[in-house]
Amino acid sequence: MTNTSKTTPTLVMKDVRAGYGDADILHDINIKVARREIVSIIGPNGAGKSTAMKAVFGLLNVRGGSITVAGQDMTGWKPNKIVQNGVCYVPQVNNVFREMTVLENLEMGAFLRKGDFTAALDRVFSLFPDLRERRSAMAGSLSGGQRQMVAMGRALMLDPVLLLLDEPTAGLSPKYMEQIFEITRSVRDTDVSILLVEQHAKQALTFSDRAYVLAAGQNRHEGTGEGLLADREVAEMFLGG
Amino acid sequence: MTLLELMNFYVIPGLVLGSIYAVGAVGITLVFGILRFAHLAHGDLATFGAFAALAVVTASGISPWAALPIAMALCALIAIGIDKVFYDYLTDRPKIITVMASLGIALMLRAVIQVIWGVDTETYSRGLVRPENYWGLRLRDREIFTMLAMFAIVGVLWVFLQKTKWGKAMRAMSDNPDLALLSGVDNRRTTMLTWAIVGALCAASGFFLGLNTELKALMGWTMLLPMFAAAILGGVGRVEGAVLGGLVVGVAEELSVLVLPSEYKAAMAFVILLLILLVRPTGLLKGKLL
Repeated sequence: MTNTSKTTPTLVMKDVRAGYGDADILHDINIKVARREIVSIIGPNGAGKSTAMKAVFGLLNVRGGSITVAGQDMTGWKPNKIVQNGVCYVPQVNNVFREMTVLENLEMGAFLRKGDFTAALDRVFSLFPDLRERRSAMAGSLSGGQRQMVAMGRALMLDPVLLLLDEPTAGLSPKYMEQIFEITRSVRDTDVSILLVEQHAKQALTFSDRAYVLAAGQNRHEGTGEGLLADREVAEMFLGG
Repeated sequence: MTLLELMNFYVIPGLVLGSIYAVGAVGITLVFGILRFAHLAHGDLATFGAFAALAVVTASGISPWAALPIAMALCALIAIGIDKVFYDYLTDRPKIITVMASLGIALMLRAVIQVIWGVDTETYSRGLVRPENYWGLRLRDREIFTMLAMFAIVGVLWVFLQKTKWGKAMRAMSDNPDLALLSGVDNRRTTMLTWAIVGALCAASGFFLGLNTELKALMGWTMLLPMFAAAILGGVGRVEGAVLGGLVVGVAEELSVLVLPSEYKAAMAFVILLLILLVRPTGLLKGKLL
């Protein structure tokens, strides 16, 4: 599909300027995600974390810079074209079809696939065994954690190279939060790169390979999860000391 | 009055009328659920379908029932065309503009019908049909067929929505349009498919009304309020609810004659609409809140 040589990064955002309407929210953002890497974006409220992610998925106007996925320049593409080229996005809220069954939700994820999707379905069910049991349940009747699994499962049905997760653990109990992080790691190990936005900065840094700290729509810090956790300034600014 | 009389004079005519409303209400509920606006041209599209079937019957002399599929196909194409030229153009504007546009379409369609077929009352076949007697229940063939055809059409639609890829795409659009787009569901094709189905349903409801009463230019327009009442009573977005709602409105209209002067029959739909919006705005089967 796209250039997938081992050294080509999965995502490169270079000097991206973007925003809603006329106002820019992102000012020259630079983010890189390598293959098989979990990268999180953290930062205070209004830093432009979710906006950065939406820009990758073509949900808002990119006015400057470029966005490249696995060597393919996707700047200015529409979401439906981006999704066909290996990028899947899980929104923070309203991320399941509530009045459709778990199985139907996953089928909708495979909508663009031609032919048989049993292999993808099996892969999702082995990542999320809970869902196999509850395949006939309405997604709206599930608990928050299970719903998040349905949302991630739906996005994985197209075998994306890059998965975008917008605050996957928002509103979840610590038990489910751990589980979602655990699953995210297993997803990465199936050769999917992951970019996620997190409110729980400390936990996100602990489990990510690398992270970016944004503030006021600009890059502030970047580094490995452990490195940023150890950084005094980061700790004081975003982690509550 | 005996139970049989109640059945023969009120309940059976009510169920037949209700079946006609039901077919139309299913279309209204699909437009409401998937495209998210109140389609005011629904009744006049039904009138168009009824007259299209009449044109086929007079031109070829085949039975009205054989003309029905042709009229449904024609109305499906016209609905797709109307969407392409008018509604699609207004997609990104506030929905109330599309609602108003559909009122304009309604008037346009009616004018076209009057120009082509005139303003006279027509029927599919001349002569009086006597009802047959089934253990005391008096039913005409066309009444039996209308009810059966309603269940058959809605049944096929139901299976389509539950089991097929594009049927599921329509439900997904109704359930969560943003997520449907993120999943790569083609908005445009789903919309066209919806209009094809809605157009065909319109033609069927107009045809049944023409078969059981008579064809006139205002027939569909007068059906609009009961059809909306049925869709909202059943729960917006719920196909099975629209059928239930249609039957309830039809029977209620016929039964109202027992307690109210018959001129108020048409007001029953309005009463039901008001009551349901006051008491249970999500409808009997818990549809979307408007």
